[in-house]
Amino acid sequence: MSEAKAPGSVLLKVTGLTKHYPGVVALNGVDFDVRSGEVHCLLGQNGAGKSTLIKTVSGLIAPTSGEITFAGEQLGTGDTHASLVRGIATIYQELDLVTDLSVSANVWLGHEAKRGPLLQLGEMVATTKKLLNRLDHGHIDPRDRVADLSPASQQIVSIARALSREVRLLIMDEPSAVLDDQEIETLFSVVRRLTAEGVGVIYISHRLDEVERIADRVTVLKDGQTVISGVPATTPPDDLVRAMVGRAPEEITTDRAPAKDELILEVRDLMLPPHVRGVSFGLKKGEILGIAGLVGSGRSELLRVMYGLEKPDSGEVLIEGRSLRHGRPDIAMAAGLGLAPEDRKSQGLLMEWNSIKNVSISDLQRFARGPLIDTGAERKAVATSLDAIGAQPGAIDRFVRELSGGNQQKVVLARWLLKSCKVLLLDEPTRGVDVGAKTEIYNVISGLAAQGLGIVMVSSELSELLGFCDRILVLRDGQCVHEAPGSSITEEEILNLVVRSEPVAARGA
Amino acid sequence: MSETVALEKTDPNVVKRRIRIQEYALVGVVILLIIAGAATKPEAFLSSSNLFTVLTQASVVGVLAIGMTFVIASGGIDLSVGSLVAVAGISGGLLAGDGNGLLFIVGALLCGMLLGAVNGAFITFGRVVPFIATLAMLTIARGLALRLSGKTPISVVLLDQVRWFGNGKILGIPVPVIVFISLIVLGWVLLSRTRYGRYVVATGGNREAARIAGIRVQRITFSVYVLSGLFAGISALLISGRLASASPVAGTLYELDAIAAVVIGGTSLQGGRATMVGTFLGVITFALIFNLLNLLNLPTEFQQIVKGVIVLVAVVAQRRER
Repeated sequence: MSEAKAPGSVLLKVTGLTKHYPGVVALNGVDFDVRSGEVHCLLGQNGAGKSTLIKTVSGLIAPTSGEITFAGEQLGTGDTHASLVRGIATIYQELDLVTDLSVSANVWLGHEAKRGPLLQLGEMVATTKKLLNRLDHGHIDPRDRVADLSPASQQIVSIARALSREVRLLIMDEPSAVLDDQEIETLFSVVRRLTAEGVGVIYISHRLDEVERIADRVTVLKDGQTVISGVPATTPPDDLVRAMVGRAPEEITTDRAPAKDELILEVRDLMLPPHVRGVSFGLKKGEILGIAGLVGSGRSELLRVMYGLEKPDSGEVLIEGRSLRHGRPDIAMAAGLGLAPEDRKSQGLLMEWNSIKNVSISDLQRFARGPLIDTGAERKAVATSLDAIGAQPGAIDRFVRELSGGNQQKVVLARWLLKSCKVLLLDEPTRGVDVGAKTEIYNVISGLAAQGLGIVMVSSELSELLGFCDRILVLRDGQCVHEAPGSSITEEEILNLVVRSEPVAARGA
Repeated sequence: MSETVALEKTDPNVVKRRIRIQEYALVGVVILLIIAGAATKPEAFLSSSNLFTVLTQASVVGVLAIGMTFVIASGGIDLSVGSLVAVAGISGGLLAGDGNGLLFIVGALLCGMLLGAVNGAFITFGRVVPFIATLAMLTIARGLALRLSGKTPISVVLLDQVRWFGNGKILGIPVPVIVFISLIVLGWVLLSRTRYGRYVVATGGNREAARIAGIRVQRITFSVYVLSGLFAGISALLISGRLASASPVAGTLYELDAIAAVVIGGTSLQGGRATMVGTFLGVITFALIFNLLNLLNLPTEFQQIVKGVIVLVAVVAQRRER
């Protein structure tokens, strides 16, 4: 399809875009452009900088340096309004619709049609209808409540909202993540319709097969840099995967005694559709099991079900041969399970508390002196635990929200060390942690494994899983599609497994 | 992330200090009120009998505020406590008749806990938001009190044990004052020095994190409403003893006074941050204002205005700290 279209004029041009966060370079001199009437696909692993790039274009964040021009005119940075009035519309991964309002109210939210002080409801409904017709979705009633629509239709409403303003560049962040195949096809026909009208589209996806189907050009980001910029979508998928993986990753290898031949955890046919669909595996004492998969592949949900935060429809979780009661984190914890959740701020820690209270919370019984808490003993034990894990000296008296990401993670780990749990479930243990602290966290984890703990670790950073984990489980669509020793599989192979949407092959024996 | 780094350079005790500042500020307010009283009405205000009057008057709402501190710390609210005071008193009165005062005590406390448990059950198991569940209980309990009593107060003149709670003295100190102060101390210990208190604040501070830490958050949530009901029962004892009767209209709007006292004390309405010392100071502040304006013969509408202004100032001060 790309050949058929005459290349449009350059709509958006990004040059040398750089964004620094303390300890992290999110974007490092990115060059990127979009022409009118084309679909430019943005590829890259988690953390490659795709989201940061589109957020700078839509004005949500201001870059440290670099230039953005739109239709030949320099775009004020860090100003969402400037981007909006020029016709840059963004549809984020998390749909930002007010689901209790009607379709038409959502489409016109923020720029309602008014006559004097009164809303022109009729006119807004009529215009919404026209927009939906233009998107080939005339069957959606503008008066319907958004909450009653399917995810696919909600997506269409988001697009209609973008079109309700004069849109020239449409940014779509993983729009296909919530859609099934047929819905994706419909979405694509909508996108083609828009490009035919001269709208430029930035399309972010994890799925390589979509690139061939929809994109005109492709840009691959890796570690905040453009590895491939603006090549035709006909580039062979293998080349793209290689670009996403990039240069040889620094391997994190630790010398550890091999896992003991003693099963400590067993998961049997755990089911909680659509996220977890029949996952089984075992874990030995001292073993580190890595779980790879895309966001939405059911990784986090699997850990949550195992820990009792969600109730599975069926299946079993056994610790040392004893089956855990479903839906009871307190029982899972008592049996020796610990969880370091993905989002430390919203799930892991009490940000308004100091480290002492955060570490001891799961093991307060130990410090009971009659009905009271022996705060002296508590402090001493927590200090030992934090020291053992190498937390920043003085972190003990600090409020955890004042700590760096790395030290916050250490507080979470210190809790489970204090509790002397047997199996630790880690969800993205190094997310938001700067480079130096990452290595420390990995050392802590392998130290725990050396003590005989079983570790299950979910991570988006494949290079870290490989070499570090004894065994790797690859999840896709809630199912385990591959299982291999950590040393016998390459990053490229894993990426191929998770991004290609071939039918899920039945797992061998 | 840039914020995190910047914050790391600040004083580690900054949060703790903020809570303290609010407590100190309230101590300042209390001292100012005492100076104002001493300046305008030296003889009447500074007498020990007036001090006891202030504390006795404070005790009924004060006891409610202790329970309320736990509820608010857990991230909830209990609007029903004023009505629970009435229905607990009436239940006690009906149970005891002209007979045994101990029956009154048992009846009032049980009634408070039972209806508190109903609140807790709807909130934890029925997933009704605390505001609505306890708002419903506010009207139900008031209606029950009126219905059960036939809209007339029940005399407890013959029940010595109950009268003692209102008018008794130990070593010259009125019993309501002793009850109030001991419950404040007990509440402080429970909130700050026991596992239960930690769990309550953790539940209010971050429910999901508390769950992951192995806390049975539903059980904790349920329990704070039972606790609040129990304190409403105790409050019913104090007020019935003092007035020598259990009234079906007792405690009207007390829930708002209790909430106001807790909030100006520095306990966060979002949950997760609580101070019993603050609650005590909040209760005392309101009691002093009431006492002072009475002594100055100022009409009660002033009291209402002043109270509202104080709540606003305190809450704005809290917001600015964040």
